[in-house]
Amino acid sequence: MIMTKQSKITASANLDWDVLWERYGIAMIVLIGWLAAYFFVPKFSNPDNMLNVIRQSAFVGCAAVGMTFAIISGTFDLSIGSTLALSAYLGLMVVAKTQSIPLAMLTSILTGMAVGVVNGLLITRVKIPAFITTLGMLFIVRGLSFIISKGGEPIRYSGKAFTWWGNGSLFGIPTPFLIFILCALAGWFILTHTSFGRYVFSIGTNSNAAKVAGVPVDKTTTWIFIVVGLFTGISAFLIGSRLYSAGPGLEPGYELNVIAAVVLGGTRLKGGRGSMLGAVAACLLYAIMGNVLNLLHADAFFQRVAVGLVLLLALSIEGIRQRLFERASRRVLPTAKSESNS
Amino acid sequence: MKNFLNKFWKSYSIAVVVLTVGLVLSFLTPRFLKFDNLLNVMTNASLVAIVGLGMTLAIASGNFDLSVGSTAAFAGCIAFSLVPHIGVPASILAGVIAGAVVGLINGLIITELRVPAFIATLGMFTIVRGAALMYTDGKDLTLFGQTGFKVLSGEYLLGIPTPILLAIGIAILLGFMVSQTRFGRHILALGSNFPAAQRSGVPTSRIIWGIFSIVGATAALSGMILSSQVLTANARLATGLELSAIAVVVLGGTALAGGQATMVGTLLGALLIAMINNGLNLLNVPIFYQELTVGVLMLGALAIKMSKGFKLSTLLRRQA
Repeated sequence: MIMTKQSKITASANLDWDVLWERYGIAMIVLIGWLAAYFFVPKFSNPDNMLNVIRQSAFVGCAAVGMTFAIISGTFDLSIGSTLALSAYLGLMVVAKTQSIPLAMLTSILTGMAVGVVNGLLITRVKIPAFITTLGMLFIVRGLSFIISKGGEPIRYSGKAFTWWGNGSLFGIPTPFLIFILCALAGWFILTHTSFGRYVFSIGTNSNAAKVAGVPVDKTTTWIFIVVGLFTGISAFLIGSRLYSAGPGLEPGYELNVIAAVVLGGTRLKGGRGSMLGAVAACLLYAIMGNVLNLLHADAFFQRVAVGLVLLLALSIEGIRQRLFERASRRVLPTAKSESNS
Repeated sequence: MKNFLNKFWKSYSIAVVVLTVGLVLSFLTPRFLKFDNLLNVMTNASLVAIVGLGMTLAIASGNFDLSVGSTAAFAGCIAFSLVPHIGVPASILAGVIAGAVVGLINGLIITELRVPAFIATLGMFTIVRGAALMYTDGKDLTLFGQTGFKVLSGEYLLGIPTPILLAIGIAILLGFMVSQTRFGRHILALGSNFPAAQRSGVPTSRIIWGIFSIVGATAALSGMILSSQVLTANARLATGLELSAIAVVVLGGTALAGGQATMVGTLLGALLIAMINNGLNLLNVPIFYQELTVGVLMLGALAIKMSKGFKLSTLLRRQA
């Protein structure tokens, strides 16, 4: 009895630290990073520049909102890079033909959702592992966008009303960032306040247990991939509008950038834990880093190295802490050694 | 007999598919069966197969390596830049070592910093690519006139291009290693049940270092072969190689869950994709249909594997 009480106390003391770090660690890092850049990096504090930073964060951010759902449920979607290219292309095609922005937006989003439906059905009905399904779809969707674009010719459209979505501002705040925040709020609400959100967490924690407990695992999984597609479609629309153009070669490696952002935000790759706030913060962090490195005239090539290093650094903190903890507990309790080894 | 057929289908389905596709292609276009064309197909297959063979080890141990494309480019650049200083053989060796070192760093990040392999190699994917770009300053490294490096892509032994020989040699080597050595058994043990392997005394950390070093070395070889074909290395080489390599391994029949490996399957998987790409070229199908085919093929293969109802024997029974 006493033992359990004691272990509970130590466990909760550790847990607090863990929970704090997991929930707000990345947000703190972003805050510190922002302040440091504000005071020490020349020209960063220029309002235009700071608005640009938050604008840049949105283009990975919207898709990261969707990917957070997938990763919390213990899978991920490798096909979003190709989906992005296809959605953006079709969106631009529609807006160039019809001049109708709502129609273009709808096209981009529906394209993303359609790819999501196919992903979801292949995973839940045909039982192909998500990794393979989405990897296969990466090739298929990219192939499709090459075919639709007749060999990779990019499409252009620069109507003012359309490009406003990627380049304009509303009340002085960049439009894409507003949309990003709206997406994140919606995502946060769905994750934490709906039964769908609880299903997502429970599947990520233990999908067998979830199934036994009556969670409609297959249906939820399908919907998760549809949600990923939806937010990828929004990203695609914004990027197409930002660039005035889209081609099938858009953003190779986009899927890995998005996954990196979500994971950097504290969402566990194994599933079951994660937060929308973390994903938003991680996207901001990447945007700050890119901007600061630009302002410091860092080598464009070095930026890639820095992005990777930050990811590894952030994610190794937990492992290092775990090792230190084990070493400490080994010193205090020699008997704990066998346990920590196992 | 039925059992035998099922077992046969299970282990050799990819071979059957390769043969079928080969037959179909040779009917569709007579050029396909020309000796030169077949060598060409096999050379192209070898490029992905070599890194795929290394990747088979990683997947058999329940891990991935997403950094192989970057490693390939990095090693190609290192080797090409060293040729004027230390000659061709030494620079090829240096390239392989560079790849193995990148792999070892992957392994160390995984075991010492306890970062999951997926993330560790994802981080290294950008870092190594960036390092290669910094090293070359984004420029091409060419070796025009110095054809010594062609040893990796030319036809030196019996008129067979070196990549094919390398792919087969590495397949035999790694296949032997997996099935006959302690290291190989440990790899499979890690893949089938990591905690159990750890508890029964398998030196998991050292095994992971070994696996990732080998993956890095094979990636380096692929990268150097790729560079030697055009005698140009640059840091943008082999983008997307990581996903193609994983696709080849999965097509070949190695389970993503780990615990099992088939080198022959990986070779055949690479061959299948190369054959289809070549066939589409010969049939004048636009090049962008190739990616589509790779994807459909992969999903089709896995769908057949996953549907428990599909067995060759039931197919035969229905016909009878």
